[in-house]
Formats: sequence, C-alpha cells, structure tokens
Amino acid sequence: MTAPTTHERAHQRVPLWRDVIVLKWVAQVFLLVVVLSTMFFLATQAGDNLRARNIVSTFDFLERPIDIQLSEGIDTHPDTGARALWTGMVNTLRISVAGIFFATLLGIVVGLARLSDNWLVRRLGSMWVETLRNIPLLVQMIFYFSVLTTLPRVGLGTGPINGWFHISNKGISMPRVFIADGFYQWLMVVGVGAVAAHYVRRHRQRIQDETGAMTSPILWGIGTVALFGLIGIFVHPMFTWMGGIFGAIADLLDSLPIIAPQILFSVVALGVAARWISRFLTDHRSVRGHLSLSDDDWFRIAFAALASLIIVFVLVRWTGFSSWTLNSGRDLFHVLEDKFNVDGAARPFDAMRPDIIQKSRFPNYGKNGLTMSIGFAAVFFGVVFYTSAFIGENVRGGILAVPKGQSEAAMAVGLGRGQVLRHVVLPQAIRIILPPTGNQYLNLLKNTSLAVAVGYSDLVQIGQTTYNQTGMTLPVVAIWMLFYLSCSLSISVVVNWFNVRMKLVER
Amino acid sequence: MSEFAGLGANLGMSTGMIPITAPPETPKLPPREWVKANLFSSPFNSVLTVVASIIILAITRGLMSFIFNPQRQWDATATNLRLLMTQAYPEEQYLRIWIATAVVFTLTGLSLAVWRAGSAVPLSDVGRRLLTFGGTIALLVLLAPFSVRATIIWLVVAVAVAGGGEALRRLVDDERTMSTLGILLIGLSGLVGSLWVIPYGNHTFQLHRTPRVLAEPGTVALTTKLPWTVMLLVAVAAYFLGIFIRERLPTNAPRITLLLLWLLMPPTLLYLVLRDPSFDMGHVLGTDIPIFLVYAVLGGALLNWLARPSTGEIGRIVAALVLVAAFAAFLTPMRMIVRLDMLVLAAFALAAPTFSGGPRARKNYVIGWLGFLGIMSWLVTAINTPSTVKVPGQFFIGGLSLTLIVAVFTIVISFPLGLALALARTSNMPIFRLLATWFIEFVRGVPMITILIFFSIMVPLFLPPGMHLGEVAAVIIGYSLFSAAYLAENVRGGLQSVTRGQHEAAEAVGMTTSQKTVFIVLPQALRISIPPLVGHCIGVFKETSLLAIIGLFDVLFIARSVMPNQTEFMGSTKENVLFVSLIYWIFCYQMSKASQRLERRTGLGER
Repeated sequence: MTAPTTHERAHQRVPLWRDVIVLKWVAQVFLLVVVLSTMFFLATQAGDNLRARNIVSTFDFLERPIDIQLSEGIDTHPDTGARALWTGMVNTLRISVAGIFFATLLGIVVGLARLSDNWLVRRLGSMWVETLRNIPLLVQMIFYFSVLTTLPRVGLGTGPINGWFHISNKGISMPRVFIADGFYQWLMVVGVGAVAAHYVRRHRQRIQDETGAMTSPILWGIGTVALFGLIGIFVHPMFTWMGGIFGAIADLLDSLPIIAPQILFSVVALGVAARWISRFLTDHRSVRGHLSLSDDDWFRIAFAALASLIIVFVLVRWTGFSSWTLNSGRDLFHVLEDKFNVDGAARPFDAMRPDIIQKSRFPNYGKNGLTMSIGFAAVFFGVVFYTSAFIGENVRGGILAVPKGQSEAAMAVGLGRGQVLRHVVLPQAIRIILPPTGNQYLNLLKNTSLAVAVGYSDLVQIGQTTYNQTGMTLPVVAIWMLFYLSCSLSISVVVNWFNVRMKLVER
Repeated sequence: MSEFAGLGANLGMSTGMIPITAPPETPKLPPREWVKANLFSSPFNSVLTVVASIIILAITRGLMSFIFNPQRQWDATATNLRLLMTQAYPEEQYLRIWIATAVVFTLTGLSLAVWRAGSAVPLSDVGRRLLTFGGTIALLVLLAPFSVRATIIWLVVAVAVAGGGEALRRLVDDERTMSTLGILLIGLSGLVGSLWVIPYGNHTFQLHRTPRVLAEPGTVALTTKLPWTVMLLVAVAAYFLGIFIRERLPTNAPRITLLLLWLLMPPTLLYLVLRDPSFDMGHVLGTDIPIFLVYAVLGGALLNWLARPSTGEIGRIVAALVLVAAFAAFLTPMRMIVRLDMLVLAAFALAAPTFSGGPRARKNYVIGWLGFLGIMSWLVTAINTPSTVKVPGQFFIGGLSLTLIVAVFTIVISFPLGLALALARTSNMPIFRLLATWFIEFVRGVPMITILIFFSIMVPLFLPPGMHLGEVAAVIIGYSLFSAAYLAENVRGGLQSVTRGQHEAAEAVGMTTSQKTVFIVLPQALRISIPPLVGHCIGVFKETSLLAIIGLFDVLFIARSVMPNQTEFMGSTKENVLFVSLIYWIFCYQMSKASQRLERRTGLGER
C-alpha cells in the first residue's frame, strides 16, 4: 500500500457504522442506558415491594426513641437511633485505631524477626506468619472468644496479679491512667512549650546547617516540650483565668440566632469545596495550561462538590442540626469553663488500679480499671494478630527490596549499623512498605465489622439490632456503607499524604 | 527463558521439574559450628535464642496441654464429622457424595499426570525430613501432659521415625531420588489405612420434629473406610490413565479437555449429581429440547455466516440488529430461556468478527456456541427442576461442602466479571472507565459482611413478584460482585505491565481492538497476574467463613452454633473451632505453597 492511497482513504468519508469513534460512543451510551435502566427498574421494584409490605424507608428512626442495651461504649442506654449508631461508630473507630497501632508494632517485630540472623527467631517468625495468615480471621476471633468465655469467673481475690491485672470471663482489667481535672491547664502549658520548641528546633537546625556540628535539633525540640510538661505539673493553675473567656464565648453563642451558624457553615462548606476544586485544577494544569484529569480526579471533584452541597442541604433543611451545633457549642464552652475553673490543686493526670465490686451474687469489674470486655478482646486480638502477619510480610519484603549494595556502601563510608539502618535502609524500605501497609490498615478497619459475630457493639452489630427493631433495613445499610466508605477514603488520604512525603524525601 | 530461570535459581529458589541451573551449594556446617553460627554468634543473639526458645516451649506446652486436657471433648468433632462435611445430606443418597468426590479425585489424578506435577526429591532429603519430624514428635510428646505409658509409646514411635530417617540418610547414596507424588501417596495410604484400624466415632441423624444428630460410640471408620479406599484407588488409577494419555496423545488436546472438564465439574456435580433433579421428561422433550434445537440450528447458521471474513459490514449491522432484537425480546413476557438464549446469541454475534477466519476457525466458533448454549439450557432446566433430595432447612447441603461450593462458584463467576471490570477500567472509553472505577472503589471501600447482609436479606425486595432466588444463590451473586472488584484490581496490574510495543505491534498487524485484547494483551496480562490471582482465590476461600454470620450452615456455623448445642457436647466450641481452623489452614497453606511452586517453576515472579 503506497502512501497517497492511504492518504486518500483517510479523506474519504467513513460510513457511520465503521467509524470507530461513533461505534465506541454508541457502545458506551448503550451500556450506560442499560445500567441506568436496570437500576431504575430495581429501585421501582424495591419501592413497590416495600409499599406492599407497608414499610416506608425514612431516616425518622434516627430521632425516635429506641429500646437497645449496649454492652459497652460511650452510651450504653442510647435514647435515639442516631445516638445508638453513633455509639457504634465510636466503638468501631476505637477498636480500629487501637488495632492499627498495635498491629503495626507487632508487624514490625514479626518482619524483623523473619530477617533475624538467629535461626530460632526466624523460625518463630515464619511460624507466626504461616499459621495466622492461613486461618480465616473470623475463625480466629471466634476461637479467642470461646477461650475467653470459658475462663474462670472473676473473684474478689483472683487475677494473675491481684489488684493490678485480672483475666477472667468478664474480660481483662488493668490499671488505667486517665486525665484528671487539672489536665486542660496543663495542656495550655504544653502548648506554650510546643511554640517554644519550634523556635529551639529552628535555632539548633540553623547552627547545624552553619557549622556542620551534630546538634540533634529534633531531640532538643522534644526535650523542650518535655521540660515544659514537667514544669506544667506544678505551675498549671496559672491558666485558671482562661475559664472566664470560655464562659463569655458560651454566653455569646447563647444569644446568637439559629440562622447564624446555618449561614456560616454553609458559606464555609461551599468556600472550602470551591477553594479545594480550584486549587486541584491549578495543580493539575501543566505549564502550557493543559488540563488532564484522570477518572479518580473527576471522582474527587464530584465528591467534593457533592459533599459540600449535601452539607448545605442538611444545614438548611434540618434546623435540628444548626440548633444542635449552637447548643452543643455553648455546652462545649461551658464545659471548658468548668474545666478551667477547677481548684488549683488538681493534678493533670491520675491513675487507678482495677477494682472488683460485688453488688449482687457475682463479683464484677468496677469502673476504676481499664477493662477490655471479652468481645472487644476477641476482636482486638484477632485483628491485631491477623494483620500483624501481613504487615510483617510487607516489612520483610520492603527491607529485602533495598539493594544490598546500599548498606554495603554506607558501611564503607563509615556509618555504624544503627546509622545504616536509620539513614540508608529504612528511608528506602519505607517507600516500599507503606502502600501495601496502608491497604492492610483499610482491611483492618473493614475487618472490625466481624465483631458482630462475637457480640462487640460495633456499628454493624448495632445497625442489625436497629433494623430488626425498626424494620429500616435500607437506611441502616446506607449508613453503614457511607460510614465505611468515608473511613476508607480518610485512611487512604492519610496514607497517600505520607506516600507523597516519602517521595519528596527521595529527591 | 534460560537466563530468567538462572536468575530464579540464583535467588535461592530450588529446582522444579524444568532443569534449571542449580543454586550454588551452601557449605554444610557440622552441627556444632552451625549452632554457633546461627544461634550464638553474638551476646545479643544468645539472649535472643534463649528468649525465643522459652517462647517456643511455652507456646508448645500451652497448646499441648490445651489439646490433651481431659476436659476437651474431641468426641464432638469425631462424632460430627459427617455433619461438618455435608450437614444433613440424606443417608440413603450418600452415594452421590462419594460419586462427586470420585469425580474430583479422577480429574485431580488425570491433571497431575498430564501436567507432569511433582518433582524428584533425593532420598537423603526425605531422610532428613523424617529425622526432623521424629525429633519434633519427641519434643511434643515430652511437653504433652501424657501418662508415663503413653509418653513411652509415643517416644518409641518418634525414635523409630527419626531412626528410619537417619538410616535413609546414611545408607542410601545421594543419587537415589523419589517422586513427591510417591511421598504423598504413602502419606494418604497411611491415613486411609488408619481408618481400618482406629475408631473415629459414629453418629446417627434423627429426623424427628427437630432434626438433630445423636452421637453414639462406634466408628466412623466403619462407614467411610471402604469409600475412602476406593477414592484413593480411583485417584491412583486416574493418574496412571493420565500417564497413558500423556504418552500416546499430543500435549494440547488432553490439557484443553481437562480444563473444560474442570470448568464443567462444579455445576455438573452440584446440579446433576448432588441435587438430583427429577426431570419432567414430557416438558424436557416437548419444550426445552425444541427451543434448544431451534437456537442451535438457526444460531449456528447465522454465526457461521457472520464469522466468514467475506461477510464484512453487513454482518456487523446484522449483529447489532440481533442485539436490538434480543433487548426487545428481553422486555416482552416470554419464557426466560428464550430471552436468555437470544441475549447470548447477540453476544456471540457481536464477537463473531473477532474470531472470524477459515472453515476451521468457523467450525470451532460454532461448536463453542453449541456447547455454551447446550450447557446453559441444561443448567437452567436443571436449576428449575425440583430436587429429589429432601432436607429440612433451606439448602440441601451444608458444612464444608457448602463452603467449597460457594468458594468455587464465586471464583468461577467473578473471574469473567473481574476481567471485564479490569478491561473497562483500563480502556480509553470514559463512560466504561468511570462506571468500572466507581463500582470497584465503592465495593473495595465497604466491608464484605455488609454486602453479604445486604444480599441475603434485601434481594427479595428487588425482585419482581413471582421470581424467587434462594438465599445461597443470592449470597453467591453478592460475593461474586465483591470478589470481582478485587480480582479486577489484580488483573489491572497485569494489564498495565503489558508493554506499549505489544499494543502497537498488534495494531500494526491490522488487528481490531477486540482481537488485540483477546489474543495479545489478555494472555500476557493473565500470565503475569497468576500469583496475585491465586492469592485472591485463597482470600475468597477464607472469607467464605463469613457465611456463618448470616446464618448459612457452613462449616464454621455448624462448629460454632450447631454442635455445642447437642446435649452430648455442650460447650464444645473451642475444640470444634480449632478443628475448623485446622481444615482452613490445611487448604490455604497448601494453596499458597502450590502457588509458590508454580511461580518458581514458571519463573513468573522474576519477569
């Protein structure tokens, strides 16, 4: 085929049914129509069926009283559906955060153990990984749960270390350190210390940059904060006057009309979304001004716009929310006022040992200690052990992926073993470790939903009880999905932020 | 090829069947020096060794005293084995289960032979393994709370095993090897042989007002020793048949046939063998077969014409018209099978130009259509026919069988779905891409249990009146959608690693987009994504345990909620769940080991 003929052909009108572009768009629109009509069909069908059963799916149940008794959480007798679900969300988040923290620690230990020079430690590490990751998490959780439930009953003089550490069929109880009355004044002192630490760190950094001497600026910064914290234990009553300011703010909020927060929050939501989108667009514009956006970007933009519109809608339609923010804002500042107005002799921290009380026939844990119920313990150990096996593999893979020449070169320059690890191997390994570990965090969050099998009151379990009582299955499922989606999105945003930071370090 | 294989070997991977260059021999240290180098090389290391040995001893000791505690009710699992495997499948129909097992074993044996599975292991290695094994048994025995007599007996066994291993290591020269399949056969024969000797417990299933299992002392071995022996013999016979086929026939034909058989096996076993539909022959002959014949003949002729390269544009227009007709037919009230057949015909018609070619290609394409149509018609008929297996409750089979059925069907269904999603997500057509991206991201951001709950209780809401979907079917559909999203991400990784040059070369040869995708891109992408896909299969199998939460009688539900409520075995949850975790562990561990072997053999991880 010679060049002119192809050229001529390109100029010939392509019939419609052969034009690739037309065909592609026809196929796409066709699929879109099929998907949309299927969804429409299913939705109408569901509406018909619900009407036939006399069920009206609304979110009213959120504000109605509900008869539910929770085993643990911020509120064991929630008065409305919304409060119950909120308790579940807090429980889910609580166990997820604790799980992520301990799974990371344990995972690092496991990963390092598998790389150890010591044959026995290596075997122990691989036994841990191969056993735990090949047994379903749910099976593990149920096993821990059934072991914990058959533990001996809690007694007045029992526990591995009586008075300090108790394990029984009511759970695990241990000493608790908690924040006491003087905490908020103390926090102010620490805040001042943080500002001071910032300047100290900058100063030390400048000296290091100028002279080349090792001044360890970060250590100095941390030391400054610690010093202020230590001093703050004795001098914190000097911030008592802050209470008056918070009281004044509370009174101001009391006098505001409801329309004020509505307008304020709407403007803020719209403004933040608009600013975010415009910044996003400028970030994605190339030097010549071309804009190329991937689907994920479109998804993000649409999501941001939609989210702000939803917020505005909720604010305007549902005055309960605005009055709620107003009320709770006032309450918050009243609470802060009370916190700051406490007696100057209060301590910022306090600790208590677990106690066992006997109200009726059987003794039970009191409120003093930090008590893990067996449901919580089963989910917690299950999630932590299971995820640690996967994180351990990520850590191992990441460290192995750093070429051996890197550490050899560093040692040849004269760095010590610890320095090699800290300055050469880890910064490179962490870039490989982080993305899959972020995925594991997501999995951990989603896996806490298995708590429903061991009776820990997480969102799914409370949701189940709620829809069994009210019949509002669709709304509850929608709330579940929204909650988990937004949590997943938040975690992936955080992990991506770290990823980007790590990439900058590379340059 | 060879340089990649060599790379694999240098990274410490051991040799498979394909001869690749051996890894450099690590010098074997005498025991004292080995201990010094590996356990006590530095003070810190010595401390680690002590700590680790204390931990290992404590864990082992704890586990042994947990297992051999006299309070443990191991009778519960031994007696309820049948319940755990098949729930309440009727005793008089039990032959069906064994036939199904035999089919699986036959296919396994044939495949092992045809794909030349297994490798040769030096006998001295086997000896070393036996030595370690004997040592481990001795350690476990010493840590277990046995009586003196039992300890002595077990120690003698351990010493015998270790001694046998040592003898094998010393006496046999290094050149003698043994097939891993042979070792497997010896192990399985030992297991089956033990059924004839050791009593494992027995049960009877009582169908009174509340059906339940009554335990009585006896031997499960009495009911299963013969079938299991037959199964083993069937597998061995199939293996030798496979070797015969391998030697006499060309390589590819038996492999493709076997793959097809594996694919056909799950629906056949479930709907024809296990479920035993009682076909209404009048209806089948009067309605189903005529519909099939009409579609087979007319559709075959149409496809044969469409797949002719000379047909050209007219063919495409006709195919598009068929699609429009299919949708119009789908919206008109008719027999479901007629509408479904029409849709499938439209899909085949649209795909025809991709597979067009000479008479041979056309013949293959039409045969593919006939096969697909036949299987689909038969499946739809079988699913809609009432079963003769009458079991109280919702689904006719439960336990491990249900777990396996759900896992296999989910993987089989989600594979094409995930492939389509991955292609859509990487395509350059925005609407496809957006739909796929949103679906995948949505599903991946949500826990599986919410999707399962949604599908198990909400599906009836979305169905038009008069249409029914069993809970198991609904759950499998939901699970497949969930799994497809994850599978799509795995395949996407493979798709992205196919280099640009491959795309460009395919286009330069004049392939259409669909031809390029089917013949050039997908084969390479799938090959690369085999390791993550196997991992995905393991994940799917593990997560079937979530069926227990929504109340299906899977193996975990029976172990946790059914068995501990039997009067004889009150509160035996711990033992049962430990047993179930052992089952899951064996399956998952073997699968992950197999995938590692596959990676090593094909050098997949290295490219």
